[in-house]
Order: sequence, then structure tokens, then C-alpha cells
Amino acid sequence: MSAAAPERGFLVCDGNEAAALAVALARVDMVAVYPITPQSSLVEYLAKFVADGRLQAELVDAEGEHSVLSVLQGAALAGARTFTATSGPGLAFMFEPYLRTPGMRLPIVMSIVTRDTLTPQSVWGGHQDAMSVRETGWVQMYCETVQEVLDTVIMAYRVAERHDVMLPVNVCHDGNYLSYGTARVELPDQDVVDTFLGAPDVNWHAALDPERPMAVDPLTGGAGGAGPALFVRYRRGQCAGMRHALDAIREAHEEWGRLTGRYHAPLIERYRMDDAEYSIVTLGSMTGAAKDAVDGARERGRRVGLVKVKTFRPFPAVAVAEALRGHGAFGVVDRSVDFAWSCGPLYREVLTALHGITPAAPSQSFIGGLSGADLTVEQFESVIETVRHLRDPGPRDTVWLNAQE
Amino acid sequence: MAAYNTIAFHADRCDGCGDCMTACARAKTASDSPRRARLQVLADGAGSFGLAMCRQCADPECVPNCPAAALRKNTETGIIEWDQAKCVNCLLCTVGCSYAGIVLDEVAGHVVKCDQCGGDPACVRTCGNGALEYLSTARIYNEVGALEDLFVPGLAGCQGCNTELLMRHTLRRVGPDTVLAAPPGCVPGMGAVGYNGMTGTKVPVFHPLLTNTAAMLAGVKRVYKRKGREVTALALAGDGGAADVGFQSLSGAAERGEEMLFLVIDNEGYMNTGMQRSSCTPYGAWTTTTPVGRESLGKSQDAKNLPLLMVGHRCAYVATASTAFMTDFYAKLDNALQASKRGFAYLHVYSPCTTGWRFPPRKNIEVARKAVESNFVVLWEYTPEAGLKLTHPVDDPAPVKEYLEALGKYRHLTSEQIAHIEHHIVANVAAVKQQASAQP
Repeated sequence: MSAAAPERGFLVCDGNEAAALAVALARVDMVAVYPITPQSSLVEYLAKFVADGRLQAELVDAEGEHSVLSVLQGAALAGARTFTATSGPGLAFMFEPYLRTPGMRLPIVMSIVTRDTLTPQSVWGGHQDAMSVRETGWVQMYCETVQEVLDTVIMAYRVAERHDVMLPVNVCHDGNYLSYGTARVELPDQDVVDTFLGAPDVNWHAALDPERPMAVDPLTGGAGGAGPALFVRYRRGQCAGMRHALDAIREAHEEWGRLTGRYHAPLIERYRMDDAEYSIVTLGSMTGAAKDAVDGARERGRRVGLVKVKTFRPFPAVAVAEALRGHGAFGVVDRSVDFAWSCGPLYREVLTALHGITPAAPSQSFIGGLSGADLTVEQFESVIETVRHLRDPGPRDTVWLNAQE
Repeated sequence: MAAYNTIAFHADRCDGCGDCMTACARAKTASDSPRRARLQVLADGAGSFGLAMCRQCADPECVPNCPAAALRKNTETGIIEWDQAKCVNCLLCTVGCSYAGIVLDEVAGHVVKCDQCGGDPACVRTCGNGALEYLSTARIYNEVGALEDLFVPGLAGCQGCNTELLMRHTLRRVGPDTVLAAPPGCVPGMGAVGYNGMTGTKVPVFHPLLTNTAAMLAGVKRVYKRKGREVTALALAGDGGAADVGFQSLSGAAERGEEMLFLVIDNEGYMNTGMQRSSCTPYGAWTTTTPVGRESLGKSQDAKNLPLLMVGHRCAYVATASTAFMTDFYAKLDNALQASKRGFAYLHVYSPCTTGWRFPPRKNIEVARKAVESNFVVLWEYTPEAGLKLTHPVDDPAPVKEYLEALGKYRHLTSEQIAHIEHHIVANVAAVKQQASAQP
């Protein structure tokens, strides 16, 4: 563990420390923690910040991830800005309260330091944990760099707490590659963050407060009467919140860029796409190596581009379709598996986003970087070469990178 | 209107020894002659006894009968007071009384009547059989009767359910500055949290998951403490959620000393979902998941002693209570409430389930009482400072068979199973007493 970081300016740190620094800057009221690899150092930083008085938050050392999120739900209903982080099996154990959080419209922010799921037993990176909860109604953003981790955790509160969103947000950063990978980052000034976020306003809609007595989450639904329509109203409200999140994420990134000079792509990033004749689609920290491979191919005269998806939930279908439309074949590289379709989950999302666009572009799913495996520039070069030769739009087998074939 | 303490007479426990009369005579006169006592135990000719004594009537005959205004009902204490200075010895008061509660003392030369010895009646103190009992439950009514019932009328509990009684008493006492957690079970099942936008509770109330009641409440409470606001975090949970699937969060919150009052209503199973077994279901009990058939005869394991496990957490307060002993319950509720302001307070209340245990609704309090009197349920309280103390020790327990026979869920028991239960009761009492003898 490094010495206490400076209050402002630059430092070199890993993604876990960057996330913890962002939490301190967001003046979170409560953090609930439980250790799990590769997230553990993140919550250790938080505990240390609280111990040092640098983060004046309630620290709950809960007895497991299930209680971690439950404590935060109670705290949010009492008006607190909250944070936690987890990985893999911890997320699985947390699933019961996790599933419930979006419906309660609690703007809890939680880092998923991504880890491959059991089994085979694995303690290393992979997106399988975050991808396994992709249909639960949480907002999910994936970070590419340590700096983006820091900035995105702060931005997540602005998105989550926007009144037309009011949804929990996962900031996903890759286990191993971002959790432990160090880089130079710039710390924003505290007053910039204060201005950007404002005071917590998290339980105006649903509170556990004797000064505003109400029942939170009575039974809703049933076969007749007012129940079914009320239930539908809540569900549709969640969908509306997700739609608004796309705009809130754009707005937050824009404002953050204006305040700090750091403009991260909010939904997707288009990289060398303007004249691209084919492209690759990436998610998370693999994007760095992928961009290097694109640069190398460009030097060799290949007209290849890259689309990085940052916001995976809600899925920015329009932006993805616009980015890929008219640019020929594409390959999607996933760090996790969609077992139902034997492809990568992002690949399936992209296909859905392009549904109805003719002529259909040739495409292929690539899966790599599972369970801590590196995704190298050379691998992306081979991906680019494969995509370059794609011709027909028909179905193809998934390419498993890192496989001995 | 105030409620008053009374002296109750349990005829079935009276052997006619007359010690109470002697004690009264000694307390009120210079003699020990039973004839001069202000209560008279009288044989009814059929082997049992009746009691002649002033009942301190609410609408007494003696008072308006008195032409000299020598008798008056003290509205503070409820005692009918006799003023010797005003009495004209006409004895009209004795004519009006149906209970022979005011009579002529020939030696003194005037009427005498019971004044309850100022709150510590000599007769009650003397009776070795418990036939006379000084009931101070009026304290509860006087202290909390004026407080608002914070549940709405018309909660849909089963007929004869004691849980509704318990909920209403508890929240009335704990008060409006409360956040109430009602995990899935009978409490929300009867409408406490509500349906489709309506609620049955006047304080902030929520459904936690069955699994995370203590954790969610801890989050709520910590935030109010941080804000400097005095808010009580109260859980009204069932035994299944607390002892089984919610035990981890309960244990975690207790270990961290989260400040809350966690009240478990133990009806020995998942009664709201249709009477399935929990780890608090006793040995031998029929439930829908421990059915009685050719191969099995109810639950084959003993109940988990959850309150003793909470003592193992050294909570700020742990106690057991019973709906048949409301004075005891109220004292413990007060203690638990105070303790919840400094740590984790755990109150485990045995609440028989008329529906799931198969007995008539009118018998609920009787069943609860029999459980305690047979030592099936042991009443005690614990603090880390004072250790564990039995609050209603039963040294000469009634046969548990009488308790078991009152309940349909034990109808199938074999003599071997009953012997197992009898053995378990002895072992359980021993375990509690061992804890009681331990140094705090």
C-alpha cells in the first residue's frame, strides 16, 4: 500500500487506488466493504482513507457482500451517498440485493473489478462477472485506463443521482490489468468535484425517514385491481430511467471534460473510423493494445478502425449502429462468453443494434483474455487480418483467442 | 381512564391453609386472628375455596350506599378508601357489596376493607402456592395506553394470532421516531408494509429481503447517527428469516454492535408461507415439510436455541419473552429499547401460531402460558454486564405432556418422542442455567 496520496495534482497509482481516490473526492457518506480478489486493495484504500480522516464516511466492515449491498440500500434510503466494490464470486453472493437495487431506484455506485466466474476456479480478470448481471437494470460503464477509472467513478454519481435516472451504476474495470496496473493520473481539485456533483440527493423519491413516513416497497402486483398497472408503471419507469441514463452519461462526460480538460468518450469511442473499411469493437482495458494494433495496420496501409464501447448498459444501440454502418466488416472482441449463443455477449449486442440495416455487414465474434490471459497487440493484429478477409454476412464460428489450435 | 393493579385469586392453586388471613391480620391489626383479616378464604363445600375480599370495584355499590361520604374511590390508585372520621357505623356499605369485601370488625368496632397494603400486599407475599397474585399489568396500560397505535386498524392476521398483539404493543411503546423493518413473513403478510401503494403502518416501514434485515437496518441507523438524529431501528422478524437464511446478516450486525432492536417473533416455523419447518421448529413437530407418514413422524432434530446463540455474540441485550407474560415482556422491551441506543438488542418472543400449530384461536395465551409453565420455553434476560438471569424460573414445571396435548402438531407423538422432548427440556434448562451461573 502506497503512502497517502497528495490531495491534488498528479500521482502514479493503480486502478483500485484510483477508484478509492474518486470515492474520497465524491465525499461519499458510507462505504461498506468486504475483501475479494482482485478488488481487495480498493477497499483497503478506502478503509485507510477513513482511518486517516481523509474520507469522512461511515465504514461498515460487513460480514459478506450480501450484507455490503444491503447496508448500502438502507443507508441510501436514509439519504446517504454510498459506494462499494466487488468481483466475481462476491458479485454472485450479492446477487439477491443486487437484483433489487435498480427497482428501488437507489443511486448506489459500485465498482466491479472484473473477474472470471467459477468454475473453473479462477482469481483472474475477465468480464464474465459483470456480463452475468447485464440484464438486471444496473448502469454499466467499462473503463480503458486508470485515469478513466478515477474520472468515471466520480461521473457515476452524477449519472446515478440525476433525477430522471435514479439508478445504480457499476463502474467496471478489468481485474489484473487495471486493478493492479499503474499509470500516471491527474487528480481533480476537490472544489471541482464538489461543484460537479453537488450535495447528495438520493432519497427524495423513496425514504426511510420518520419525518417523511412512508412504506418502501409494499407488495405490488397481483391478478387484478390497481396492482398490475402499478407494477407495469414501475417497470416502465426503470426502462425510462435507463433511456435517460444515455443522455445523463453524455452530459456528465461533457461537463467533466469542460471542468477538467479530460474528455472521455461517454457511450462509444470511434477510433480512426472516418475512412475505415472494416473495424474491430472492443470493451475495457484491451482497447489500448487494440488501438496499437490498429495504428500498426494503418501504417501498413490497412483502412481499419476501432469502436470502443464504454457504456454497455444501457446499450448505446443507435451510436453503435451509426459508428459501424457503411464501414464494412467488423469483429467484436469479448472478454467473456455468452453461453446461449456460443459467442461474446458484446458481439450479440452489436448484432442486435445493427438489426435491419442492409446490406448486413460480415462479422465475427472473438473471445479472449479469459481468466487473466493477456490480449496482446499481436492477437489484435490477427483479429484485424481475419476481419479484413470477411466477405459474407452469414454466421461464423467464434474465434477463441488464447486457444491452442 | 386509568387502569389499576389488582389482587387476583387462582382458586385452583388454593389449599385453604389460611396463611393469607393470618398475614393480613398481622399487617393490619395487633392480632394474628384470621377472623380479623380483611380477606376470608372460604370452603365452598365441594373441596375448593372462594375468596371474600374487596375487588376495588370500578362502579362500587358501597360508595353510593354510604350516607356519610366515608367511602370514596381513589381515581389515582383505584383503591376504595374508608375514612374513619366520617363513618357513622351504619353498615349500609356491607349490604351493597357482593363480595363481602367490606365487613364489620367486631373487635375494632367499625368496618374494615382491603387497601392492598400500599402496593405490596401482605397476603400475596405470604401465599406459598401462588393462589394470590398481585397484578401490576395496569402499569402497562397507564404508561402506554395513551400512546398512539402506530399500525392501522384491520391488519389481516389469523384469528387469535398473538403476533398482531405483539406488533401493536411493541410499536406503540417504541414510538413514531422509528424505522421498521418487516421481512417477509406474518408481519407484512397481515398487511403491515402494505399492498399496491397502501400501507398498514404509520412509521417508515419496509420489506427487507428475508436475508438482509439486520444489514439494511444497520445502514439506516448509521446514517441517522451520523446526522445526529435519534431514530430507533426496529426489526419485527420471524424465526425462520432470523435463524436460517438471515442468520448471517443477523450475526454480522450483532458482532459489529449495530444499534438496533431486533425482535424475533418465534412461531416455530415458516407459518406465513404455509407452515414449513425452520431451524426453530421443535423436535417432533408436524410441519408441511416435516410431515407425518409411514417413514417419519415430524421433525427429527431439536430446535436451534437462537437467543442463546445471540448471547454468544455478547449483544448489548438479549432476552426471551412470551405473549402470556406481558408484564415481563414490557420490562424487557423497555430494557431492549434502551440497549438499542448503545448496541445490538435482541428480543426473542415465543408466539404460538393457532393456524400452524393446530389449536383453537381462543387458546393462544393459554398455550403460551403452558409452554413457560412446563419449561418448554424459558424466560430470561442477558446483558454483558449482569450476565444471564432467569426472569420467571419454573422450579416445579408442569408435565410437558399437557402442553403437547394442547397442540395438533404434536398429535402423532409416540411415547419415545415425548420422552425425547422431556429430556430436551431438562437439557435446555440446564444449558440456560449454566449460562446463568457463568461469570458475566
